[in-house]
Amino acid sequence: MTDSYLIQRSAKDWKKSAKHGAGEWLAERGTSVVLIPLVLWALFSGIGLSGKGYDAALAFVHVPLNAGLISLLFLVSGWHMFMGLKVIIDDYIGKPGTRGLLNLVNLVFCLAVVIAALGGLYFVFKA
Amino acid sequence: MSKPPTPSAPHRPLSPHLQVWRYHITMFTSILHRITGVATIAGLLLGAAWLVALGATASGLCPEAYTTYLTFAASPLGLLIWFGVTLAGFIHLTGGLRHLIWDMGQGFDLRTSNLMAWSGLVTAVLATIAVWFYLFATGKVAL
Repeated sequence: MTDSYLIQRSAKDWKKSAKHGAGEWLAERGTSVVLIPLVLWALFSGIGLSGKGYDAALAFVHVPLNAGLISLLFLVSGWHMFMGLKVIIDDYIGKPGTRGLLNLVNLVFCLAVVIAALGGLYFVFKA
Repeated sequence: MSKPPTPSAPHRPLSPHLQVWRYHITMFTSILHRITGVATIAGLLLGAAWLVALGATASGLCPEAYTTYLTFAASPLGLLIWFGVTLAGFIHLTGGLRHLIWDMGQGFDLRTSNLMAWSGLVTAVLATIAVWFYLFATGKVAL
């Protein structure tokens, strides 16, 4: 069965957003690409720190490069998490009011995780 | 196939009709990508809790915070969550690579799609086993 009506119409006829969409698309891909090396670095760092105690963790975080990469990891993955959860909410929640509220909860949750992580890091350095 | 929309109606792409779809590995990996994406949030929460505990102990606000964190992280439940995060993370990583390949306009044919779905799953499972075998074999982690 051929979708002849699809061929009759140009791609320009498809319903699409005229205001935004390309930005979100790029942000999703951009954060994905950045997260590949960051998450692998986090995995290897986590393996290296596992089984070791407080002093090893403190020494690890005190290295400026590590602290920078940790901050970057939380900022990028927090953003990635927000976009991922937003897509799920937008897909499954049809009622505009509920959808808006859940997306607000999503934003607050993602910001809270990032702020908590960066706050913890701040207290490590402040001490 | 459903009836084409009237010419005046907005031309929207149709969602897959789940009732008439035959099971295929790519539909399994598709929903798995979403599920594993949500599951990896547990990893980010554990990571944030690690920094909060470290900061609370280092600053003296709550000196026993890090011990409490380690007790939970090394407990059977904590290890189960870490294991799940490792598996979900690797599945989401290989799934993400597959999507990036698709985003470049490559690999849409059935053969390549099947191959990417299966190889992504197998790679993720093997990588997870390798990580946890290493952790237990070197004694970094114990039950």
